[in-house]
Amino acid sequence: MSKFSAFALSFAVTVLLALFAASADAKVYLDVYGQSYKKITIAVPPFATEGQPRPEVSDLLGHDLDMSGFFVVAPRSLMDNGLASEGIDKRSIKFDQWRSLGVELLCKAVIQEKDNGFSLEAYLYDASDGTLLFAKRYRATPTEWRRIVHRLADEIILTVTGEKGIMGSRVLFVSGDRRYRDVYVADLDGYGPRKLTNQHQIIVSPSVSPDGKYLAYTSYKEGRPNLYVVDLATGREAYTDRQEGTKVGSSWMNAKTIAYAHVLGRISTIYAANVDTKERKVLLRKEGILASPTFSPDGSKMIFVSDMHGGPNIFMMDLATGDTKRLSFFGNYNTSPAFSPKGDLIAFVSKTEGALEICVMKPDGSDARVLSDGGVNDSPVFSPCGRYILYSSQKGKKYSIYMMLHNGENKRELKFTGAEETQPKFMP
Amino acid sequence: MKKNLFPLVMAAIILLFYGCSSKQPYTPITERMKQPEVAQQPSEGTGAKEGTNEEELARAERERQRLAAEAAASAAPHLPDVYFDFDSYIIRNQDMPALKDIADWLSKNQSVKVVIEGNCDERGTTEYNLALGQKRAEAAKDFLVRSGVAANRIRTNSYGKEVPVDTGHTEEAWAKNRRDHFVSQQ
Repeated sequence: MSKFSAFALSFAVTVLLALFAASADAKVYLDVYGQSYKKITIAVPPFATEGQPRPEVSDLLGHDLDMSGFFVVAPRSLMDNGLASEGIDKRSIKFDQWRSLGVELLCKAVIQEKDNGFSLEAYLYDASDGTLLFAKRYRATPTEWRRIVHRLADEIILTVTGEKGIMGSRVLFVSGDRRYRDVYVADLDGYGPRKLTNQHQIIVSPSVSPDGKYLAYTSYKEGRPNLYVVDLATGREAYTDRQEGTKVGSSWMNAKTIAYAHVLGRISTIYAANVDTKERKVLLRKEGILASPTFSPDGSKMIFVSDMHGGPNIFMMDLATGDTKRLSFFGNYNTSPAFSPKGDLIAFVSKTEGALEICVMKPDGSDARVLSDGGVNDSPVFSPCGRYILYSSQKGKKYSIYMMLHNGENKRELKFTGAEETQPKFMP
Repeated sequence: MKKNLFPLVMAAIILLFYGCSSKQPYTPITERMKQPEVAQQPSEGTGAKEGTNEEELARAERERQRLAAEAAASAAPHLPDVYFDFDSYIIRNQDMPALKDIADWLSKNQSVKVVIEGNCDERGTTEYNLALGQKRAEAAKDFLVRSGVAANRIRTNSYGKEVPVDTGHTEEAWAKNRRDHFVSQQ
């Protein structure tokens, strides 16, 4: 047990050291994160129910653990039949043989299906000394078995890193073929994509209010880019901006207030609109372009994109005083900012030679680093825990959605509909 | 035989175009893309109909002349696209004459309105490109207004990088996509 608390601690220390080292060297120009940590090797032998193998259950757990970025999942092919089919209780496990494969953690589970129920009894062992780290039982209806596996994965991640995983999350995104798109929601593992709109139109920048009640997006369904906010339960339009001009880049300040940019004539405006009272307040108005407003976790600062100094760059405005300062001073194309939930990082897109890269910087604009590896990348957004970044990436012809750790490691493509997928967000 | 059918074919074309323009003042590009392009090519059958007599031909010719005269007064010339540099929304020197021609034509045809559609290439982020496309459309509108066209005859629309005219990934394709497109409406 102590070994894994020690791991959690050493992980935290590594991150702290990384941040410290970075701040001491603040002049780095779009450096790539070099900091890293060793992944834990975990084995998930096939789960079974009364002797019948259910490999899809253990496969999904393996998929979740791989996606988390903290584990190397031991390939099934390395386990000979004896190992794969040994019992789940401590005395029947040959820990020395698991150790000889390089396995550090071992997750065993048995499935029971009866009376229209699905239960999973799971054990997590430290392979070095056979310590039982946890034993858990989960129950659900047979169709909900995936949820249980995600919960088990999140529990294993909690045990190893000291923080719960996000494998049970859902993702919001835009999908379709070029001009004929809709907003979808699906499980993080790609399962069960479901349409939230039915428009077959150009739709951009979807976002859901923090309480999950409203969906906002920009759609061309009336011929030009209007902003719509709909009540997800009833489908009713709660707020619409049909002014002439482009309305885009919705971001929620709280459960009722949405901010977005409006470009018309020589002027751009960032509005904050209350979807209940329909009252629309000007947060910022300037000549040129204003785009992509988003807010610090404490709500005191707004970051946004403006071309007021030539080329799009990222600016921060103190909402109380109106003081505005430029954050990005590298290259001449920096857009699509997103605050981390702890307020310690801002993710954004920066144009480098031949690519649009996902980057992170500190909220004062220092210490910018490239996390992606070429191609046209867009729309970074942090997970609610702050450890992951979702983004869209075009490598070759098609846009897909990816997730990576906040340091750029463990990039994984998320596969939902098979069509082009862009502008991901975590569902609240 | 072929020569005799020409007026009929012309009448059909004019009728088709005339019908379209009066029914649908402005069709957003998303809808234009969805419609099968029937109006462009009258089918062979229209003209090759059996038993066309002299009287019908004469009537078609009179109709053609009437429609042609009407069309000449207001028919939209092909309004050329105006192009932009990367991440720029300033009208380039070489495009000023083309814009001036558009302004002159709009001044002569006071009943015509125009929608300017701003577009961008794929090398930018979605949201910023929507804003940039709007500014490109506004830049052309600004020029037309300063050339004497009433502002209320011009509408602007941005498609960002969402509807490229060329889906390639080359400098050439990008240059074609950084454009203002003009759609006239009666």
